[in-house]
Amino acid sequence: MNTELIKKTKWFWAWQDEQEETWLSEMANEGLHLDKVTFPGSYQFKKGAPANYIYRLDYQSLKAKDRESYLQLFADSGWELVGEMAGWMYFRFLPGEGKIPEIYSDTESKIEKYQRLILYLVVFLPIMVTVLPSILGRVGIFSSIADVLFALLMLLYGFSMFSLVLRINELKKNSN
Amino acid sequence: MNQPVSKHLPLTESTYYILLALISPKHGYAVMQEAEEISQGTVRLAPGTIYGAFSTLEQSKLISMVGNEGRRKIYQVTEIGIQVLLGQIQRMEIMLQSAERNFTNWQKKATEE
Repeated sequence: MNTELIKKTKWFWAWQDEQEETWLSEMANEGLHLDKVTFPGSYQFKKGAPANYIYRLDYQSLKAKDRESYLQLFADSGWELVGEMAGWMYFRFLPGEGKIPEIYSDTESKIEKYQRLILYLVVFLPIMVTVLPSILGRVGIFSSIADVLFALLMLLYGFSMFSLVLRINELKKNSN
Repeated sequence: MNQPVSKHLPLTESTYYILLALISPKHGYAVMQEAEEISQGTVRLAPGTIYGAFSTLEQSKLISMVGNEGRRKIYQVTEIGIQVLLGQIQRMEIMLQSAERNFTNWQKKATEE
């Protein structure tokens, strides 16, 4: 049987993962089932019968030795890995008896997911500050353009940090 | 021995049932099933939460990996883990006793009036 592959691009920020999950479920309702994430913001779907799939996104920086047991635990709980991009794991829920359609059952562990993202950004910062200017300089871009690029990146960095902290605060507030 | 125990207390409801289930060795999904059963359905754990809890508990040495079953890692509570559980149970006993005492006083007063 020939399965039709459909590509779609749509941008979601890291803190908009719930909107992304909802969008993927809406696609599934139209018979478009996530096949893989080819690039950040770029999705490949398989066309099939409409289904009420639930999608959940996890963020993990897994060591190779932990990967199998992590995926096995999710598989045991009814979650199938359908995509992966830069530490983001795209899970799809196969409805089954006695299984909960959530990957996090308390606010603390949900918050820890965003804390892992913040940690990743924090680790990334010194690399950005030290390595990037020298790369931009070496490529021979006019220094003013390099400065603008660097400023833009730092702005994006600050915006991401701010939005993630906001998301965590929102979760904390809702749990009280 | 007392200091490291008290710093882990009180346990969240999830952590309490995870440790209790791990008195005998189990993998993650078996812990999810047992926690739901022994909590009479009041605690249902999701895989991401279990996975995170296992790494935190392993780091703080309350549980340790004791083997594997295929791809599943088997964990069990450590000696410190048992001490922490006992500490938690003691706290819960105090909670129950205090409730019993105050409710009895309250009922006594109500019947006297």
